[in-house]
Amino acid sequence: MKNIKQESINPDPSEKRKEVKKKLRKLEGLPTLPPIIQRLNQMIEDERTSLHQIAEIIEKDQVITTKILRLANSAFYGFPRKVSTVQQAMMLLGLNVLKILIMTSSIFEFIHKEDIGLWEHSIGVAACSKIIAEKIGAGDSQEIATAGLLHDLGRVIIMVVLKEDQPKILDLISEGVDPLSAEKRVLGIDHAEIGAFLMAQWNLPERLIEAVASHHNLENSKKYRKEASILHLSDLLVHARGYGKTLYESLPPFEVRALKYLGLGWGEIKEILFNLEPRLYELKFFTEELKKELSS
Amino acid sequence: MQRLPLSYLKPGMKTYEEVYDAQGRVLCGKGVELTEEMIKRFYELGVSYVTVEGTPVKLPWEKSLEEELSELEKRFEGVNDENLLQIKEILKELLYEKYKARIHQS
Ligand SMILES: [Fe+2]
Ligand SMILES: [Fe+2]
Repeated sequence: MKNIKQESINPDPSEKRKEVKKKLRKLEGLPTLPPIIQRLNQMIEDERTSLHQIAEIIEKDQVITTKILRLANSAFYGFPRKVSTVQQAMMLLGLNVLKILIMTSSIFEFIHKEDIGLWEHSIGVAACSKIIAEKIGAGDSQEIATAGLLHDLGRVIIMVVLKEDQPKILDLISEGVDPLSAEKRVLGIDHAEIGAFLMAQWNLPERLIEAVASHHNLENSKKYRKEASILHLSDLLVHARGYGKTLYESLPPFEVRALKYLGLGWGEIKEILFNLEPRLYELKFFTEELKKELSS
Repeated sequence: MQRLPLSYLKPGMKTYEEVYDAQGRVLCGKGVELTEEMIKRFYELGVSYVTVEGTPVKLPWEKSLEEELSELEKRFEGVNDENLLQIKEILKELLYEKYKARIHQS
């Protein structure tokens, strides 16, 4: 115990970084995955399992079914019709996305409770990422929407697993240090890297991991620069629209190159923002419902 | 006009535009007064939102145009980058259009 105290007075970023990664590997403080999720994971990995079998297992669990259907029906995936069964959700979202939703559902739950502003921000970025992905034809747009949903996962992890460091980060920010540097100074690592680190541990697709890892620094991306740029631009647009709340009081730093990487001009940005608006309008009902549930 | 999820619909509200199902078939025309039966049918057919006339529901999170504009100014305070200012202009335009459409109706 003494040791920990001393560290917080005189932190050594590279030492701290090692300590943080060790914690992440053990996932201390994160709610453990219920057995059904472990079982599902095995089934999903197993090529011989049919979608039908997976759906059957999920449907036996009321809580997970509800979570999946709720996420599938929320406006960031933008299906014109209500998704009412797990089978449908699986067809529409794909197994990959479904797997991610199952694995991260306990974290989503945490975001609702702890930081509804960050949750709103995340689903706003998910919706915007999907619109951009469709606009430029960047492959599986459901998957990109999911990357948007997870892009600030590292922030959530800091709040859950690294609770005792959060106040120090907030202090630095209130002194005028920008949020990313504040995280790096206190933890030796920032939320983008933390999120990606964890996603890699969960064996999520490389495309998502790289996009999340570089959403504040496009230079870090190699194979998936487009995906990273989509998250980067969505993050900016959602902040600019004032939807949700993050550590950035106003706007996050923006790399204009993102527009070039995506081949977007101002006309297209305008279309994206005009398409996003009704989505955000619908999402508001979704988060308000959650808020009501949480307070009751 | 106001776009509302099914759970906010009440009999007596009037449709502002047609209501479609997922296949694009018209379930209900413009200017039709909703009944309990119709709302139930929308649920069954998987409709999520219906746009109705006027603004029958007060949504506590909705802001006025003035509030939106002043918050936009605040978010962009001190911003000189011309790219970011472009985005600000687009958002202003969006807000004016959004609220113009509303005033027109109610
Ligand atoms: Fe971020
Ligand atoms: Fe973000």
